[in-house]
Amino acid sequence: MSGTCSVSGAREACLGSRVLCVGAGGIGCELLKTLVLSGFSNITVIDMDTIEVSNLNRQFLFRRRHVGQSKAKVAREASLRINPKAKIVAHHANIKEDQFDVDFFKSFDCVLNGLDNLEARRHVNRMALAASVPLVESGTAGYRGQVTVHIKGETECFECQPKPIPKKYPVCTIRNTPDKPIHCIVWAKDLLFPRLFGGEAVGAEAEREDEGKNGGEDEGKDRSDIEVSERAEGQPAVEYGCVVLREVYGDAIARLAAVEDMWKDREPPTPLSSDVIAAGRAIVQGRARGGDDKVPTSASLALGLSDSHATWSAEQSAAVFLMAVEILLDGHADRVGKLGFDKEFPLSVDFVTAASNLRSHCYGIEPKSSFDVKGMAGNIIHAIATTNAIISGLIVLEAQKLLLRGLRQDDDGATLTPWTTFVQHNPTGGRLLQRIKPLPPNPKCYVCSKAQVVMEANTGLMTLGRLVDDVLRKALAFAEPTVTVGSTMHYECGDDLEEDERERYDALRKRSLGDLPGDPIGHGSLVQVEDFSQEMSVELLVCHREPREGEDPDFFEVKGEVKGQDGGRGGEDEPEGEGDSDSDDLCVVEEAVGEKRKGAGQEEPAKRQRAS
Amino acid sequence: MGDASAVARESQDKDKRYDRQIRIWGKDGQRKLETANVCLLGAGPTGSEAMKNLVLGGVSSYTIVDGTKVTERDLGNNFLMDKSSLGQSKAECCSRLLQDFNESVSGRFVAETPEQLMDAKPDFFDGFDLVLATQLTSAYQHKLCDICRKSGARVVFGRSYGLFGLVRISASEHTVVESKPDNVLLHLRVKDPWPELAEYASNFDLESLDDMTYKHVPYVVLLIKLAEAWKLGHGGNLPQGRAEQRDFKAFVRSQQRRRRGEPEGVADEGENFREAVENAHYLWSPPGVPSEISRYFADPACEEITSASSHFWVCMAAVKDFVAERSGGALPLPGSIPDMTATTDLYLDLKRLYDSKAEEDCDWVFDRAIQILSRTPGADPSALGRDYVKGFCKNCAHVKVLRFPTVRQEQEGFLGGASQSSYLQSLLLSEDTAENAFVYLMLHAADRFRQTHGHFPGKFDDGVQEDVGGVKSIVSSALSEAGLPTIPVAEEYVQELCRCGAGEIHTVAAVVGGIVAEEAIKLLTEQFVPLSGTLVYNAIRSTTLRIGKF
Repeated sequence: MSGTCSVSGAREACLGSRVLCVGAGGIGCELLKTLVLSGFSNITVIDMDTIEVSNLNRQFLFRRRHVGQSKAKVAREASLRINPKAKIVAHHANIKEDQFDVDFFKSFDCVLNGLDNLEARRHVNRMALAASVPLVESGTAGYRGQVTVHIKGETECFECQPKPIPKKYPVCTIRNTPDKPIHCIVWAKDLLFPRLFGGEAVGAEAEREDEGKNGGEDEGKDRSDIEVSERAEGQPAVEYGCVVLREVYGDAIARLAAVEDMWKDREPPTPLSSDVIAAGRAIVQGRARGGDDKVPTSASLALGLSDSHATWSAEQSAAVFLMAVEILLDGHADRVGKLGFDKEFPLSVDFVTAASNLRSHCYGIEPKSSFDVKGMAGNIIHAIATTNAIISGLIVLEAQKLLLRGLRQDDDGATLTPWTTFVQHNPTGGRLLQRIKPLPPNPKCYVCSKAQVVMEANTGLMTLGRLVDDVLRKALAFAEPTVTVGSTMHYECGDDLEEDERERYDALRKRSLGDLPGDPIGHGSLVQVEDFSQEMSVELLVCHREPREGEDPDFFEVKGEVKGQDGGRGGEDEPEGEGDSDSDDLCVVEEAVGEKRKGAGQEEPAKRQRAS
Repeated sequence: MGDASAVARESQDKDKRYDRQIRIWGKDGQRKLETANVCLLGAGPTGSEAMKNLVLGGVSSYTIVDGTKVTERDLGNNFLMDKSSLGQSKAECCSRLLQDFNESVSGRFVAETPEQLMDAKPDFFDGFDLVLATQLTSAYQHKLCDICRKSGARVVFGRSYGLFGLVRISASEHTVVESKPDNVLLHLRVKDPWPELAEYASNFDLESLDDMTYKHVPYVVLLIKLAEAWKLGHGGNLPQGRAEQRDFKAFVRSQQRRRRGEPEGVADEGENFREAVENAHYLWSPPGVPSEISRYFADPACEEITSASSHFWVCMAAVKDFVAERSGGALPLPGSIPDMTATTDLYLDLKRLYDSKAEEDCDWVFDRAIQILSRTPGADPSALGRDYVKGFCKNCAHVKVLRFPTVRQEQEGFLGGASQSSYLQSLLLSEDTAENAFVYLMLHAADRFRQTHGHFPGKFDDGVQEDVGGVKSIVSSALSEAGLPTIPVAEEYVQELCRCGAGEIHTVAAVVGGIVAEEAIKLLTEQFVPLSGTLVYNAIRSTTLRIGKF
């Protein structure tokens, strides 16, 4: 009998507790509502995002009039209306900021995540471990969702199991031999768009997030890959757009098609005909202009192409391309050089749709609608209110159990067992809810079990900068790593560095590992990596080897139970930071009991023949 | 330009607002949602949760029916109510506040109890596409079920009762073309290639291909060619029985070329050959007509097309003819092929072949469907579009027909009559299902208790223990009538049931309301397969159980 009563007593347990809600998006809104109605009266909510129109189909604490405002703040006000007695603190901020340090986390009884990206999830996991605060983690995608509970020393941490990594595409396929729409979309989004509208800084960012390129290639080389003339003084934007079309889709494709070796087993691409370009220009010039001289928000709409589900002809694509170039270069002149692809910025969606479809046209690949391109380029995960509502109910039930455990040490524990709960896609196929017992901590986990990480790399080529940025920050999710070998500190970061220290580290970043002064990093080196912000340290065992045939010369491979890491390609995480609006979104890992710890997520093999 | 551009802007705006969900159910699903008129019975926590999810999704209209007034108690557990609502009609408050969630949905309310409406004005329910019925007792569930079977509205029942919940659907028939299964069977026709595919395959001269191309011959072509070669040595037969099938796979592997300079036995791994071995089973067990579809072919609704038949059944009848008269046992091709190792050109060739065959099959089915309609008195052949037929052909291996028993049929099936008790017995005896089967019985007992006592068990704080005894005696007499055992947690569960006094707990309401809305969306969009049977939700254990025979 103790069992049921314990859950029933939950309301009392909630009253005195303090909870941290990370994320006020799809799950966050539902969660806040369920929390205040369940008796939680002391809540802190953090979200760095502002409200977008595409949130309104599920983030029910927000209204159209709130678009552009802080999610955390609006969510706080709306939750207070539901329960005016609750104490809610809202931070419009990034959870990774210094103010949210380990002591901050220690001030809560429980952390509840409603996040949309892997990087923040990993960070919160580490902070919760360092602060010994239990974490309830969650995610949804369409009709599917999951809730997991992480208690230090008792259950596995969020990073005990590798998660599947986003798909990546061989670089030669993207640059030379695309055979699917996505290849052309990645090319348009990551190569052409930054080439025309991005600057150095944005380019570097795109490089990191990008699925299309090897992490090891340097910026300059990428840039030269797409050869485009600069816009001449006084040249009308549309005329310049025509030049770009001729050079990129005409001349460059013709040159590529002439490389016989490449087309032994496939049809060479066809350069874009000048008729298509001329037709596109005619459409742009013949369009009906509105009376006002406001800058149009969308190129396709300005041309009357309002159905986002329709696919455009090559001529229409050329017109949208030219129109988007004109609006971006003339109407957003101040931002050119700093622009990146943003799925909520219609002009960038228009441009990428048109640019990728023109490329598809040359390669005989089917065109895609702007709706589809937006989803593919923006890695949009579909989301609805229902699943988020169900998940929020489950999160709060788990949170209540965690709080009751703290109060009732004598409980037999049967009812207060934390569960990992999956909400299934198709309840007819089985059960709507599938629950499994959380596994104990994975002894091989470098995050919660201090396991050693092994890195294979070419230490003669890999620079300290690449080690810090790609291995430590990206593959291992450190926020502020410090690198020490023996008694030599090679790298540290943070705002409190002296100017001369910063300069020294910047200089060291450019040196290869084997060339570092003091204790160089070579085969067999033990590198101590520490992160004071996460209160975490890892021992990295370095194994030098030469690249294998066909491998990127500046490869690296991180071994061990490392999440989100993909040997040899640079270990990108989930895409994030793209003006993200889907705080509820996560690639849900569908796992059956017993299928766990199967090893790193595998990329689906690229099946079509590729000339590498 | 005024009007046209305003319309375009509004449509763009909706595209944006509903973007994330259109990615699940498509423009077509969204359009169906936007024309749906929904009625909500009961504006409590569960009802408000369920309706909120549908208003956010963008249904056309909602009508909220609730005869009670907002009390202090409601403020604590209904997210829509605040202090200013005290004393007002709950239906009115709920309607007004939901309206704020989505300006393109129109809301109405009726401040009467659902029970009064059902008793006095059953034709009130005419004109609704869907009724969300929350917190109804069994007797009124029966009643609503009967009313809505006549009016044609679908019903989703949802009930939160303390830490327990129930969800079920009632509709006489629901058909789904886009069932969106997790696993899709491939229809490759390697066993019985149509003439163009057979000819395409036979034009490959494998011997003469260079090594690179050899490794990129699509496995479909390999299987067709190698099956032909096999037949030559086996009296014209495909591999039969385990041993031959193993031999055939070995034969496929043996066709890989050796890498130059490598010793005997080291094959040049061709991904395409691996795929051919993996898919060789399509040669001996091709996906014919799934048994479920064969059952639909024999269904009276398929055999007797009338002017009242839905396009779903007209297409089913036409596909049935296609299988019998045209294809010799194969369903129409869906018109898509999986990714496979191939050069781009070969892949595109193959895709074109399958696509054009799919179009041809669809043409045949479309023509036949039109013929069927033309000879059916009162039917309008022009109402059937080729797009619908195309969608049907594309999905025809996975279409679904659901016919839900009435609430009365279901309950009588479980609770009365010895014939069904073996099913309930099996649920109660299996450790996995016993607790939630008991929950189902217990919630039914709570309704019976209310019938005799005039209130739900545990309603009054000082009578809780007395009520526990009352509920237990109802449950145990139901069990002993059916000759069934009780379960170890029975005492705990009945205590919990009475302790909550039929109250709605917000966490449970969020889960139950979420499930109700999700099923409603599946019904309205006619996509995915909605829940059949009754879903029991148990928040104590974080489990669900679906009760019902299928």
